[in-house]
Amino acid sequence: MSIAPHTRNRRYFLKAAGITLALPLMESLSPGVVRSGLAIGSQEGQRLAAERPRRMVAVGNALGFYQPAFFPERAGSDYDLPPLLAPLAGHRSDLTIFSGLDHGVKGGHFAIHAFLSGVRSGDAKAMPEGNISLDQRAAETVGGATRFSSLAIGSEDGIHGGCMMCWTRSGARVPPIPGPRELFRKLFVTDSADDQLRAADRFSLHESILDAVHGDARSLHRRLGRRDQQKLDEYLHSVRDVERQLELSRQWANVAKPSPGMSEPANSDMVSDLPVLYDLITLALQTDSTRIATLEIAGGFESNVFGLRKGYHSLSHHGQLQENIDGLLVLEQYQMEQFARFLARLKTLEDGDGNLLDHTMVLFGSGMGNANAHTNNNLPVILAGGGFQHGQHKAYPTSGAGRQPLCNLFVSMLQHFGLEVDRFGTSTGTLTGLA
Amino acid sequence: MRFNSLGARRMRGGMVLFGAGLVLAVGLSLPVFAADATPQPLAFVRTYCVECHGPEAQKAERRFDQLALPADSTDALVDLQDMIDQLTLGDMPPSDARQPSNEERQAAIRALTEAVAAGRARLRTTGGQTVLRRLNRREYLNTVGDLFALNMTMFDPTMSFPRDQVAENLDTLGDVLQTSGYLLAQYLDAAEQVVERALPVVGETPPPVQTWKFAGNFQQQPELRYSHGKVHDFRYLCLYEATNSEKHEGAYGPLLAFADGVPADGFYEIRVKAEAKHRRHPYDPAIFGMDPDAPFRLGLVPGNRAIGALHLPQPLEPELGQVVVRDDEVDWYTFRVWLDAGHTPRFTFPNGMDSVRNAYGRILRVHNDMFPPETRDTKGIVESRVVVMRHGQLPHIRIHEVEIHGPFVDHWPPASHRIVLGDEPFAPERTREILARFASRAYRRPARDDEVDRLLAVVESRRRQGRDPFEALKDGLKTALCSPAFLYLAEPETAAADTPARLDPYALAARLSYFLWATMPDAELTRLAASGELANTDVLMAQTRRLLESPRADSFVASFLDSWLNLRSLGDMPPDRGDFRQYYVFDLQSAMKRETQLFMRHLIDENESILRFLDADYTFANRPLAILYGMESAVPPAQGHEFRKVRFDTPQRGGLLGQASILTVSANGIETSPVTRGVWMLENLLGTPPAPPPDDVPVIDPDVRGATSMRELLVKHRDNPACYDCHRKIDPLGFALENFDPIGGWRTHYDRRTPIDASGELPDGQAFSDVAGLKQALVRRHDQFARMLAERLLSYACGRRIEATDRPAVDAIVRQVAEHGQGLRTLIEQVVASEPFLTK
Repeated sequence: MSIAPHTRNRRYFLKAAGITLALPLMESLSPGVVRSGLAIGSQEGQRLAAERPRRMVAVGNALGFYQPAFFPERAGSDYDLPPLLAPLAGHRSDLTIFSGLDHGVKGGHFAIHAFLSGVRSGDAKAMPEGNISLDQRAAETVGGATRFSSLAIGSEDGIHGGCMMCWTRSGARVPPIPGPRELFRKLFVTDSADDQLRAADRFSLHESILDAVHGDARSLHRRLGRRDQQKLDEYLHSVRDVERQLELSRQWANVAKPSPGMSEPANSDMVSDLPVLYDLITLALQTDSTRIATLEIAGGFESNVFGLRKGYHSLSHHGQLQENIDGLLVLEQYQMEQFARFLARLKTLEDGDGNLLDHTMVLFGSGMGNANAHTNNNLPVILAGGGFQHGQHKAYPTSGAGRQPLCNLFVSMLQHFGLEVDRFGTSTGTLTGLA
Repeated sequence: MRFNSLGARRMRGGMVLFGAGLVLAVGLSLPVFAADATPQPLAFVRTYCVECHGPEAQKAERRFDQLALPADSTDALVDLQDMIDQLTLGDMPPSDARQPSNEERQAAIRALTEAVAAGRARLRTTGGQTVLRRLNRREYLNTVGDLFALNMTMFDPTMSFPRDQVAENLDTLGDVLQTSGYLLAQYLDAAEQVVERALPVVGETPPPVQTWKFAGNFQQQPELRYSHGKVHDFRYLCLYEATNSEKHEGAYGPLLAFADGVPADGFYEIRVKAEAKHRRHPYDPAIFGMDPDAPFRLGLVPGNRAIGALHLPQPLEPELGQVVVRDDEVDWYTFRVWLDAGHTPRFTFPNGMDSVRNAYGRILRVHNDMFPPETRDTKGIVESRVVVMRHGQLPHIRIHEVEIHGPFVDHWPPASHRIVLGDEPFAPERTREILARFASRAYRRPARDDEVDRLLAVVESRRRQGRDPFEALKDGLKTALCSPAFLYLAEPETAAADTPARLDPYALAARLSYFLWATMPDAELTRLAASGELANTDVLMAQTRRLLESPRADSFVASFLDSWLNLRSLGDMPPDRGDFRQYYVFDLQSAMKRETQLFMRHLIDENESILRFLDADYTFANRPLAILYGMESAVPPAQGHEFRKVRFDTPQRGGLLGQASILTVSANGIETSPVTRGVWMLENLLGTPPAPPPDDVPVIDPDVRGATSMRELLVKHRDNPACYDCHRKIDPLGFALENFDPIGGWRTHYDRRTPIDASGELPDGQAFSDVAGLKQALVRRHDQFARMLAERLLSYACGRRIEATDRPAVDAIVRQVAEHGQGLRTLIEQVVASEPFLTK
């Protein structure tokens, strides 16, 4: 089955072409910040930041991909390209397709938020690191080396809350930056001198406020029962989080933001915004504004932009009706095309002795396995770039002895990112067969 | 989040590898199932499962011999759910092993399902107590508004707050609501916004009243620049589309010459010279989708250029007023509205068309002969627009002139100053007194000395940093808004000897106020808390009635309906624009929500029976809703936007089950599903949520190719008795609603061909032919409904789940209410008087 290229693609490309990527690649903006030992995670962070920066991008959607059009039949390097993988044909040597990986959780829409953590939020309390997600785990280590320790981007909501991919160690969701405009402002719009003075004053104010309310919390704590005390601990953790963030912001406030070489984009819908968001992520990596980014595709990504009558969610409940499947594939194909375009951009950008993709591991997939059946097993997963040995379809058994949790891949990724970890989420080790 | 309370499925090999190559069951002497003294499901497990999943063998890495009930861990719950799934699918025991009878299998599934429910309840119990609860977003917003006496119609400092966590649709549960670093950072920002807005530096006298006049040169939006310039040289602002339109061409009439808005907060008189043009037009009305009988209405909303373009919708856009505009007659109309500084008035056309942009071409095509011959071949949107505006009779509201006078202020300095600073002007030596008074209001109880000390420490530190005394005071107020004493309802109890523990009076006042007004206690409640009188039941009941009678209780009605019936989700799955154009043109979404709110409000005001929720012969409708309900004549076009009580002649529509809000929120905007609606009813009207379906079952990988109707599709459930055991409870409820389309319109056929059969039979054998019969059956089960509603109210009010230990209290409420005529107000009063409400 093939999907004819649609006129819409051209339009979005043109729209996105307002962004030029012809910038010289900037070195890390402020080695001083790193050297001063402010990077969160101290030692490890310093070491990592001194090397050629490693980067991580994770992209997820809420409804998965139609499995028969996604998973190749043959494993190994000679794998076939089902329709949804066709846009990636030019990148075979730069990526790996995985099948048979999942987190072993259930819940349909209510479990997709475990995609990057392996753990549903309701189960977080029982886990040693809660339901911290891959990106946040990596960000903890390299944190202060860049202006933003990580950037969560994309749909804030969607069916049953959307993707909800990013979670902190304390179990709070990291809400994504919703649109290109907000992302652009965050990345590139530098405050005026007056604003900077005001910002400095606000840092002092917030420090004073946090001191006082911390005192209130301790005083309240003494007057509460056990359950209430546990609840108030959330507040105390939050105070510490904000204090740490404040310290980093204070360091970065005096460093000028990079110039993007483009004007501020407008927000549209998630379909039209998708290429723009990918381009802004590329710029964010290129300017070393962050080394970790996530992109959630859910709310606002709708079928009417493609002229389809049924909604994306309705189409995903295709009921095996071919017309529904065809409609669904239009939406999914578009996502694959934009992903392929993103990889192509990263590859064209020099970075040290290679290109930006060589130093950026890009995970692509979904916490939804089969949306028609609301299952969360055999998840669609692709890993590109980042210096791994690619070029294969790695098929893991969905049951029996060789079965591997998806979190094993995450351990491999974190190790490759430079972290000394041997477990993450529900991992049982590193992913066998990945080098 | 139905699945969330189940634990993580442990990672293990061979998750669902059952069936192949199993060892034959060996004839061990197993306990006899029926005679065993252990809980019934465990006996079943020992008989049929333990042989392969026990001490001897742990097939698929599962071992059930140590399973104990009630389940006390998430792992045990996962095992139980696995068993249910496997039994339901008929995959276990494997075909070559000893098989239970169908009855045994059903009984085991039922017992295991109950065990899962009981286990979940155990795991999430909060011991029948409310856990330290933070204000949710809407409560925070109302509270800061009251603390500072601010007009909040166009000010929302909580826009960047994360969405509140909900469980079972409730957004008031203490253990569920979370605080994060992200949220605390938002609290810091919001505190700044609120305090700066409430206490600007003001002069001795109010800002002077000014007049602004606008006539001509009405630039409106880029799309209309060429045509308006050509056709009338920008002499008019023209409104074509409703604000809900698809493309917003002429949906807003902004005053671009006044884009910076008014210079100061206050009331403004806005006069507008306008006329309704071409309401009677010669064209096919279908082109516009408007109600041809309704006079045109002119609306007014605020706009803020800092937020975005003024000709497009903005996130905070309350309607400030509406007037009917006379046809083809130029006249002046006056609005008197509050505007925050920086906001500019924008005109709207609430009953305008859906898409004028699509209309130009269609008018030219369909009515080509009505246009001058030389224009008939016009192509392209740009020229078509000009031709239709110049030669056609496009319905629109035309604005000729606008005048703005203001601001008019009632008090000076503004109320927000006086409520914080008192009647005296600010003086640095009053800092402590002002902080203490403010903190006592913010914390909903007298502030402790150490708390005031800490606020003062912030003020002093800021003064050392060079802030002037007034600015430093404001920083102290911001601190109070970030304190846990403000953000959380701590709810301490007083425990005197020999009397049962009770919420301390301040905590009780706060609980009552957040229950019925969703905000902090007002001065009267606070006074009664301080004097201790609130502990007196008569006083408490009188206050309950006072709060309920106030218009502020509307926020209770809206929020409780969001929490009970999930009306919050209305719009999450928007209906298809092509199929349901009226949903957008007439803004049915707001109308249907309002209908249900007015209905509930009416039951409270009149103390009518809660059974009216199940069946009633009236509702409240505006004209668009009346049209949707096929009773157009009940609401005359001239007052089409007003809601009025309307009576039904037929028994199908009355009660919640005929209300469009419920029918829309239980569909997905494209099609209806009897299963979804049936589950919705079991969860929200009967209080008996069904167990979740097993995963990985073929039936929920829907294949609709062979089925000709939903009913035939679902009959397939009967093939599997285990599925049917739940679906016989779910499906009939949903089928009864099949006469209602995805937005609540009445239909008798699917796709004009397949007739709809809404008949069914409840599990107890009661048969019905359509929704009217179902409603009667539900009314007969009024106790079940009353209990469900009492539990939801209690849960919402106390901020915790209702647990088994609350059963006596709930029973008492239900009995009292039944004895006093089932009135909704009585029910709310009984909830307030109940033990759970009065204790932590």
